Amino acid sequence: MTGLELAILVFVLMLLAIFLRLPIGLAMLMAGGLGTWYVSGSLIPVLSTLKSTTYETFSSYSLSVVPLFLLMGQFATKGGMSGALFKAASVFLGHRRGGIAIAAVGACAGFGAICGSSLATAATMANVALPEMRKHNYSGELAAGCLAAGGTLGILIPPSVILVIYAVLTEQNIIKMFTAAIVPGILAALGYMLTIAIYVRLKPDAAPKMDKVEKSEKWQAILHVWPVAAIFFLVIGGIYLGLFTPTEGAAVGALGVGFLAWKAGNLGWEALKECLLSTAVSSAMIFFIILGAALFNTFLAFTQTPMLAADWVSSMNVSPWLVLTVMLVSYLLMGCIMDSVSMILLTVPVFFPIITGLDFGLSVEETAIWFGVLVLIVVETGLITPPVGLNIFIIRSIATDISLKQCYKGVIPFIASDTVRVLLLVALPVLTLGLNRLMF
Amino acid sequence: MKYVAERGIAPLWEAKTGHYVTLLAKAVAILGGLVLVTIGLITVVSIIGRELLILGLGPIPGDFEIVEMGCAFAIFSFLPWCQLKSGHAAVDIFANFLGNRFNAFLTLLWDVVMAFASAVLFWRLFVGMTEKQSYEETTLILQIPLWVGYAAGISVMSVLLITCLYSVWRSINQLASVERNDR
Repeated sequence: MTGLELAILVFVLMLLAIFLRLPIGLAMLMAGGLGTWYVSGSLIPVLSTLKSTTYETFSSYSLSVVPLFLLMGQFATKGGMSGALFKAASVFLGHRRGGIAIAAVGACAGFGAICGSSLATAATMANVALPEMRKHNYSGELAAGCLAAGGTLGILIPPSVILVIYAVLTEQNIIKMFTAAIVPGILAALGYMLTIAIYVRLKPDAAPKMDKVEKSEKWQAILHVWPVAAIFFLVIGGIYLGLFTPTEGAAVGALGVGFLAWKAGNLGWEALKECLLSTAVSSAMIFFIILGAALFNTFLAFTQTPMLAADWVSSMNVSPWLVLTVMLVSYLLMGCIMDSVSMILLTVPVFFPIITGLDFGLSVEETAIWFGVLVLIVVETGLITPPVGLNIFIIRSIATDISLKQCYKGVIPFIASDTVRVLLLVALPVLTLGLNRLMF
Repeated sequence: MKYVAERGIAPLWEAKTGHYVTLLAKAVAILGGLVLVTIGLITVVSIIGRELLILGLGPIPGDFEIVEMGCAFAIFSFLPWCQLKSGHAAVDIFANFLGNRFNAFLTLLWDVVMAFASAVLFWRLFVGMTEKQSYEETTLILQIPLWVGYAAGISVMSVLLITCLYSVWRSINQLASVERNDR
């Protein structure tokens, strides 16, 4: 059996175990360990790797940004900032047809700017915006759809935990990755808003019209959200300008948002404990998968799979665009059953050398950045595609009066919007790379 | 699928143990979270010092080394709570079709694997620590011995090991308590 065949066999067995509910991090850890043992014919490589890998993974400076961003997201969730954001967005956008839904998307984008998690964004904004939409007789489909989709902005708009993991995994510059995600993130928010505007024109009874608001109310609403905006610009601006490292930015953000939440009276000891425990679960989950991936990648390196796969694909002489399409579609399919962090860590080690070995008319670094943003987007679309759209389940658990079928129907226009955006970004890499070309 | 086990190995003791294991894991996770907040504070103080160099202040030397060590400790201490809350990412859509009995069996099987893995990780981490001790490796700037970070990790890894062993016990009892007609 060649190394490549063995790698495929191990991968298939691992997937089978994963489909039988074996936690993904654990599956990669075991597959990597057993596979390396088999390939090298001895236990020594595995055992000596494990002496240091665990500690080195957990103490990696570039990864330390992850728990801090997660903590910041938790503080933001508890801090009552979602309410202020939604209020501000609806004061400006609410009077249009479908305005509350558009405002909810806008508020999601704002919340995504201080929270790097889609699930948290969807859950938080749903708590605030759902009652409002239902009160104004918005249809269940529209309400659930726009919030499930809006939630994905949490991760599309920097800071994004997934982008950090991609950057570390592929040794890319995190700051350049964040920069590249800005325009696609804004396009996503605008695309969703446009989707709602079209939707309510086609289905006017999904969202009734409302009254215009006073100017003074507008100023008041801005007054309430400026601290959120200030923290975002401090964190992201500071990181972009090189004032501080991403980890330092995350520390500033976490403490800043924590301070705001505490000042608003929303962060007592009990709430702090809850924040820390939620951060604990999501951080441990992510780092355990990263640890598993580290060992699995040791195995892949032993079998030379990434290199062989890249050679094999380039020897087939197929169009690079076809390869890219196949990969993106496979993410979309995997996204139906798997969470985003697992998907990235399972596939990128093999996909990345293939993609960077193909010629898209871009430099290797640009290809890497562009591919990362594309993967991020399709992976996030997976969060709203049936049957396992995690965001949909979150919305469902909050809006008990909206049926699952309504939710699924509601997200379809937004999936269409995602598809258009991916096509646009694939066709025009400059949308992703332009800011980087200007800045660096 | 939540069962209060009625059968299996000492179900009453299992419930009591579960209570204390939960308390322990929770306490450790909160401790780790507080460490995370602390490294955030240290970082912010260091940034302020760096930006106010003119006033004679300066960054905390080797602050990133503290961040690394603190972060490692925090992640280690988060693991038991995540295990107890079944927080690890898994694909359960297919297993949903397989009935309660089979699922209880799967839970037990994977808990055993997890216990095995955490025992191996614990053991290797311990060996890693003794090596760092014998090589007297330290961090670059603050000269903190590296084994200290390992030791801190090991201390909370022991809680993970306890949690995993308890999970196995709990899963055995749950499997024993699932009735055949539950499926």
